[in-house]
Amino acid sequence: MGRELRKIAFLFEEFAPATPGQQLLDRFLIGYPRDGEFHDPRIPVVAAHLMLGVNAPELDDRADDYDLTPAETVEAAVAGADAVVVVPRRPGGLANERFVELALQQAPAGGACFVYGALCNRLARGQEFARVARERNLELRSGASLSLTWRLPPVELPWETPLADALVVAQGPFPGAEMQALDALAPVIERRRGGESGVRRVYYLEGEAVWRAGDRGLWSWPLLAAALSRSDSPQGDSVLDGRTQDLVGLGQVPKLARQPRAWALEHEDGLRTTVLTLDGVVADFNFAVRAVDGAVVSAQLFRAPPPGEQHFSLLAAALEDWFRGGPPGWPLERGLLIAGLLETFAQPAARDPRGVATPDLRIKYRAERG
Amino acid sequence: MKRPPTKPAGDLMTGHDRVGVDPARAAGAPWTRREFVARAGSVAAAAALAGPAGLSPAGARAQAARPAGRRPRIALLATEVRKMSHAQHFVDRFLEGYGWQGRHHHPELDLVALYVDQFPENDLSRERSRRRHVPIYPTVEEALTRGGSKLAVDGVVIIAEHGLYPHTETGQTLYPRSRFFQRVVKVFEASGRSVPVFNDKHLSTDWNECVAMVEASRRLGFPFLAGSSLPVTWRIPAVEIPLETPLTESVCLAYGGLDSYDIHGLETAQCMSERRAGGETGVRQIQAARGAKVWDRLEERELTRRLFFTALSRSFTCRGPEGYPASFPGITWLRKNVRNPAAYFIEHRDGFATSLFMLAGLVADFTYAGAARDARPIHSCQMYLPMPPALTTLADFFNPLANHIEQMILRNAAPYPVERTLLTSGMTIRALESLYRGGAPVATPELEVAYRAPANSQFWRT
Repeated sequence: MGRELRKIAFLFEEFAPATPGQQLLDRFLIGYPRDGEFHDPRIPVVAAHLMLGVNAPELDDRADDYDLTPAETVEAAVAGADAVVVVPRRPGGLANERFVELALQQAPAGGACFVYGALCNRLARGQEFARVARERNLELRSGASLSLTWRLPPVELPWETPLADALVVAQGPFPGAEMQALDALAPVIERRRGGESGVRRVYYLEGEAVWRAGDRGLWSWPLLAAALSRSDSPQGDSVLDGRTQDLVGLGQVPKLARQPRAWALEHEDGLRTTVLTLDGVVADFNFAVRAVDGAVVSAQLFRAPPPGEQHFSLLAAALEDWFRGGPPGWPLERGLLIAGLLETFAQPAARDPRGVATPDLRIKYRAERG
Repeated sequence: MKRPPTKPAGDLMTGHDRVGVDPARAAGAPWTRREFVARAGSVAAAAALAGPAGLSPAGARAQAARPAGRRPRIALLATEVRKMSHAQHFVDRFLEGYGWQGRHHHPELDLVALYVDQFPENDLSRERSRRRHVPIYPTVEEALTRGGSKLAVDGVVIIAEHGLYPHTETGQTLYPRSRFFQRVVKVFEASGRSVPVFNDKHLSTDWNECVAMVEASRRLGFPFLAGSSLPVTWRIPAVEIPLETPLTESVCLAYGGLDSYDIHGLETAQCMSERRAGGETGVRQIQAARGAKVWDRLEERELTRRLFFTALSRSFTCRGPEGYPASFPGITWLRKNVRNPAAYFIEHRDGFATSLFMLAGLVADFTYAGAARDARPIHSCQMYLPMPPALTTLADFFNPLANHIEQMILRNAAPYPVERTLLTSGMTIRALESLYRGGAPVATPELEVAYRAPANSQFWRT
């Protein structure tokens, strides 16, 4: 199973039950289901540093029950570690750039560093992280759990498919919903012909403007219908009396949506990607993509129920394989592009109805064929 | 909520004679072994004749009875239609459509008649009837004839799950599935025409009635589909066991009540077990266990234990020690912390074993593991139920079953053999009998149900 892992370090902004930090730490500390058996990574030292001033009795419990090694400083945590995992407070919230910077400076050369959620808050900072990682021979990646989760159905876009249109439906506050949606859609659209070409323009829509833009063709109602057909959680009448609903066909989407918002992205190669955040319409993440030949692929991005949230087991398995010397499952540039998009989304200029040009986001890369 | 008083099962048939069943059998007289072997063989032959893509001669006649171009019409017979009752899920899928293969699918048939046996305070059937103009008829016969004198539908869907009904002494609920079915058969006979029938979950709580139902479908030559949604829902991962795989044991971990959810667990296991080398041969003995005896048996049986923990690793809901949702329990922890577990240990006629563990409180999902004696490889997955209201708002695991019903009616052929559910119905009856008798082994010569699975399991993967 690759190289021996002697030590793994976690850097937390917070630690609480049912957070990504707890889900990831426990899997490396205790184990997780993998390929039909319970897998114990058997890592001799699992160290955790919690941001100063934050209280987390659950970490103390893990020190008592599972030999977690508490670390007073980042330096102590990452010293001798083969891998470092940085977990911010919330996925999609601000990245803890200081933690990433220290990890890249102090972790032993040749190791791996994974940042849960957004890699950075500013693209320029992320590019600096990439440079330091290269110089110190460290592998650096970022991402979240939905990029690796089960898809219902288990679809995979054929490699080098010429792709015309993509759409993902998310829920939740900005920017967490957008981060998770972009991260989940990336492994699908990266497989298109030519790979990722970067993003040249971004449009933002909210409220009624979202529906008018769909009517004008800025995004695709048929793709939204395909994505929503994968949902198990329509709201409205389904909550009321359990009935199934053709949400798009019945015109229910605008009626149910609470403060809808959409980001429409123009990629350099002409692909159009739309992130629709539709609180009140459904309560799960779903996507649909349309190939140039008209074929549509759609699926639900499955989130396993709490408290186990077993989609984190798939992320843990991918990280463990990488930490043990396997290739990381995705390129660093994915995280850079997503971070750049989130930075763009947060700027007032991005709210211009004419859209905003994004010359810095011409980030080209190829995914692993896998 | 105020509910109508529980009615004795016998009263449900007031004014209607039982038909289609040998009176001696209906009274509970067991089939002799010779009789049943002959019957099982004919049943298996019928299944082979009406394979997934095939059209039985009777089916062809039924299809010819429908004018070209007219959409098929169906009647649905329900015990009760309220939010989250099985009948509500099916009624709404036929009326409103459902997500299927990347679009909202509107069925290519029309639900034109309802019979509803009970109307609780939160009844939805009347609202559905008014809004979608589907009459509720006062009797099964009138629903099937749409108030006329002859059969006037092209398919019948029996959803007799939920509602207030009495129980057998072994704890089975006397849902009127077989009684509805018998009345359907009587209409078929009187009309000189039969159409496809679907029966939700087990066939009956009486083995002879189970056999009689399958017999009637054979005698009149109509496609008959039955059973649980579990065999055709999502599998995570999407495991298909190739036909003729040399399996020696199947283990299913399940939850929920006995007689209501154990049938789901048995169908989960059986839809995999039937794919083993030689196909299904029937069951010769069943022994149930409760409490500590469940763990005792697990410790005695190495392959069962291995499959148990493999299946457990496929659960999304396994609750280990407090505060550590990722931890994985061992037998010692299970002994102390799982309240009132139950298990069915089933010996098939060819030596194959099925073990079902009912573990409410430990898991809240259905997982499967099966293997040959050397446990290489172990086939395992979760039969995933997007279960409302905890996880979702829709019970979309009914989508594939609703689609199979639709396809059966459109093609006049059942997609998979009803013998699966004949056998699981018998397993449920005898396992609960064993439990009632304190875990005594129950010989089951009557469960000599041999059949072959279709090449494609037809579970949800598109």
